Amino acid sequence: MVSRKLYQVLLLPSLVCFVSLVAQAQSFRVQCPATTAIHPTPLPSGSAEPAYTGPVKTSATYTPATGGTPITLPFVNNGGAVKCQEVSGGDGYMTEADGSQTFMFAFGPLSGLGLIKQGLPGTQIAADFNVPYADGPNYLNGQPNPNSTVTGATPNGAIGDPSGIMNTGVLNGNIPAPLVAIDEDDELFLTLTNVGMIMRPDLFEQHTIHFHGYPNASAYYDGVPDASIAINIGGSFTYYYLAPDAGTYFWHCHITPPEHLQMGMVGQLYVRPRQNRVPVGNSLYASLQLQQNDLRTTCNPAADILCSVPLPAAPNSVTQVAGAKYAYNDGDGTTRYDVDVPIQIHGFDPNFHFVGMTFNPEGFTDMKDKYFLLNGRSYPDTVAPAGMATEDSDGFSRPSQPLPALITLKQGQRALLRISDLDVTEYQTLASLGMQMQVVGYNAKLLRDQAGNNLYYTTNSITLAGGESLDAILDTCVARDTNFNCTTTVPAGTYFLYTPQLDHLSNDAENFGGLMTEVVVTP
Amino acid sequence: MRMSITKSKVRGRLSLIMGPFVLAFFLAIAAHAAVPGITGPAFKLDAAANYITQPDGMQVYSWGYGCSATPAGFAPYATGASCGAMQVPGPTLIVTEGQTVTVALTNNLPSVTGNTSIVFPGFQVTATGGTPGLLAQEAAPGATVTYSFTATTPGTHSYYSGTQPDLQIEMGLYGALIVLPKTPASNCAAIGSELGGRTDYRLAPSAYDHASTCYDREYLFQFAEMDPRIHQQAELQVQAAQAAGATATALNVTIEPYRAAYFLINGRSMPDDMDPSYAPNYPNQPYNGNPHMHPGELVLLRVIGQGRMEHPFHEHANHVRILARDGNLILSQTDPTKLGGPLLFTTDTFPGQAFDGIFYWSGRGLNWDIYNHQPGDGSVCNPDSNGYYTTASGAPANAPNYYEWCADHTRPLQTANGGPATLPDPLVVTNGLWYSGSPYLGLSARNGGNVPAGQTPLPPGAADQNPEAGIAFMWHSHNEREITTNDVFPGGMMMMMLVDPPVFFIDETL
Repeated sequence: MVSRKLYQVLLLPSLVCFVSLVAQAQSFRVQCPATTAIHPTPLPSGSAEPAYTGPVKTSATYTPATGGTPITLPFVNNGGAVKCQEVSGGDGYMTEADGSQTFMFAFGPLSGLGLIKQGLPGTQIAADFNVPYADGPNYLNGQPNPNSTVTGATPNGAIGDPSGIMNTGVLNGNIPAPLVAIDEDDELFLTLTNVGMIMRPDLFEQHTIHFHGYPNASAYYDGVPDASIAINIGGSFTYYYLAPDAGTYFWHCHITPPEHLQMGMVGQLYVRPRQNRVPVGNSLYASLQLQQNDLRTTCNPAADILCSVPLPAAPNSVTQVAGAKYAYNDGDGTTRYDVDVPIQIHGFDPNFHFVGMTFNPEGFTDMKDKYFLLNGRSYPDTVAPAGMATEDSDGFSRPSQPLPALITLKQGQRALLRISDLDVTEYQTLASLGMQMQVVGYNAKLLRDQAGNNLYYTTNSITLAGGESLDAILDTCVARDTNFNCTTTVPAGTYFLYTPQLDHLSNDAENFGGLMTEVVVTP
Repeated sequence: MRMSITKSKVRGRLSLIMGPFVLAFFLAIAAHAAVPGITGPAFKLDAAANYITQPDGMQVYSWGYGCSATPAGFAPYATGASCGAMQVPGPTLIVTEGQTVTVALTNNLPSVTGNTSIVFPGFQVTATGGTPGLLAQEAAPGATVTYSFTATTPGTHSYYSGTQPDLQIEMGLYGALIVLPKTPASNCAAIGSELGGRTDYRLAPSAYDHASTCYDREYLFQFAEMDPRIHQQAELQVQAAQAAGATATALNVTIEPYRAAYFLINGRSMPDDMDPSYAPNYPNQPYNGNPHMHPGELVLLRVIGQGRMEHPFHEHANHVRILARDGNLILSQTDPTKLGGPLLFTTDTFPGQAFDGIFYWSGRGLNWDIYNHQPGDGSVCNPDSNGYYTTASGAPANAPNYYEWCADHTRPLQTANGGPATLPDPLVVTNGLWYSGSPYLGLSARNGGNVPAGQTPLPPGAADQNPEAGIAFMWHSHNEREITTNDVFPGGMMMMMLVDPPVFFIDETL
């Protein structure tokens, strides 16, 4: 054990030395412009999302960095903002519910550290992202960063200097990867910095980000290494996306997917709808009609077989309510909810992870998951607080599993379960006891036919494969009046989400645990 | 690049075997697919044993359906097409709705194998000849049974063995039946105008007798898996039974516990699935899986789950609108002129189930010009009523940016041109084999006079898989374990889809 520690201590500085040489060529580069041509006005820190009142035809001005005459092009403004996030691609350890430590290839946060540690999305507007990171005393002195005590003045600023990136990024892998959440019409600058996998110095692996489900994607930003470029160790690649249609997506590395996904490079990503930004009192139906005035946001089923949010089959008089959130631009308020609950289903095969840590060739054919994970945790850890940490091979403890799967609701509230599955071996089922789930979206699309009829269905059980997502509303309300006020609720108490695949209710050799979490309903 | 990294992690023996095959593939000419098959409505098939090849060098003893006589015809093209005595999957049978289909099946399998048969799920089948079986009338060794049914429902259907299916389907006895609509939708665009007057490789203008099912291009993927231990047992037992003095009258193959090691698209594993259909190096696996398309083309995906396992298949780059399952069109309950099927970015394929779906790629909403047009370079993009540059807005059919999303025309990506993003230093990235050499679509964007700063220079020959500088997307099983070939990545149920520049002619016969 002593020799192993020594090995680690020697290894870390050697890798840092190597990277610092590369860094002189500015290969670490974090991008987050305060403004862009289509978002020319910077949002001050703490700003609310700009309101949506329909498309505004305007123009955007582009000035080449090399100088020259500015060029003005027409542009349709729908609001939105510049949003940024930075992640590391490397390795780390996590703690299984039976106490075992498991080695991972993993993404970790390099921005929004305080937010991530609290189980929140790490995505920020440029004004918050571009503040120099200041939290934790050991940040630049060669010791592992304590990875945000969340007491510093700016624990969420992006880490941009090479030594800070290495001190923080090495072994800081999380499962799931840092949560990304954006709004429609945002521009997202998602920077991946490859810090290397210090436990596997034999590998010179690239990592990528695949934004799973991004419609009409470019190959360049799709993250498939065969079809694009992939960032080497010691470099950064900023992925650029205009936010796609609202929905529950997810993201993952696309290098050798059966290996890197199984090893833990999986994360959550969702896009909030324009309808959240409709001013209070405005008609939701009329607001969706306004979206038909921009060809990018319209849905005309006769012209586009892949558009998913046509106007509801019949007009309605539902209006915006203060603080209301929706899963989609439904135009009828039917996907309204109170609490976001991102849940990612995954599975770990401990044999594969052990072989992966010990420099041996992994077998794919016999891959068999034995830990079944909700947000990187098995029961009972699923209901533990935010910020689970794991001691790494260098003796330092770092956050490893920031996101609980515990759902806490007041009577009358609706939770939007944003469920994604990145298991790489088999389908997984999640069932609810006592409360029913109304499935309103599937694969990041509203369930609505081309004639505008909602095709939602109510169920106690959903089944997903790896690479699929689903939006289900878990409602503590049994009956509502016409103003959406709850008239009858379920009793207060503890409910469960669990898998009826009984062999998935285990933590390796432990018989009880696995894919299960609690829903606590309070008065 | 990733190949060499992977090789260091796989067993040396396998990588040595894999190497030459991968290399041979990289030197091959890009190939395309369509939905090749044989036409009827009277078919003469047999079931026979032979070997199929896998990219790790394995020759796998298999059983398959084939042609016992020259078929009435081939579709959508006959050049280079063939139908031998045994193939996996079996011949794709192409008929038209309402026709009376007859299939005469002769059992040419080794006699120790016993009877065999075909079931056609979803159709009312009558049989003449043969001997009674549990699920279907069967053909005894050397004998023939004839099935007859009316092709009542258009769409994509499966057919497979109804005799000891746990063994016979595993061994390869399955295939596809395509029923073309009797009255295809009349509103579908003439393919000549879509493709600038080029050859039409569609089997029909629409998938169903419905105006919302038009398509421009089509591909058929049959998913299945193989446990090579089963095939080896069958091979050894058949050989033993054929030896002098042998007395065995039946096979006794252990199926369980099942351990799939090969994951097949149309009988081939990646990268073999991207070689041409009817390629001579796969004499018993004639069909490939190699989708290409131009921007804006409606691509019909015909997909069948032929094995025992579920396969979530992820189509990168856009969603798929599910039109139908097992030939049953899914329509709105209140307005049957409108579609009701779901939109999926990962399409589930379940055992025995077929679906039809429509996919396209248009580049809408990227917020940058995918062709890297520059202001003042003379490029044109007049939007039609949907925002695209098409004949409806005056585009010539051979426009190099046909179907461009005009709202992003000349909008820069890179900061050097006033855009939002700075591309990484080419020295700190690794190029993919299908990387076009830039973020953009087409050779003119990559090699045009206005080369953008930060553009990655590709070493000579690096883009062999994509010489037309299309943009590539991986289509693959998201049970990622299945994109391997007998423990080696990459392989299995995977292919690279290419969106080609409009000026590149996609010759589906190559």
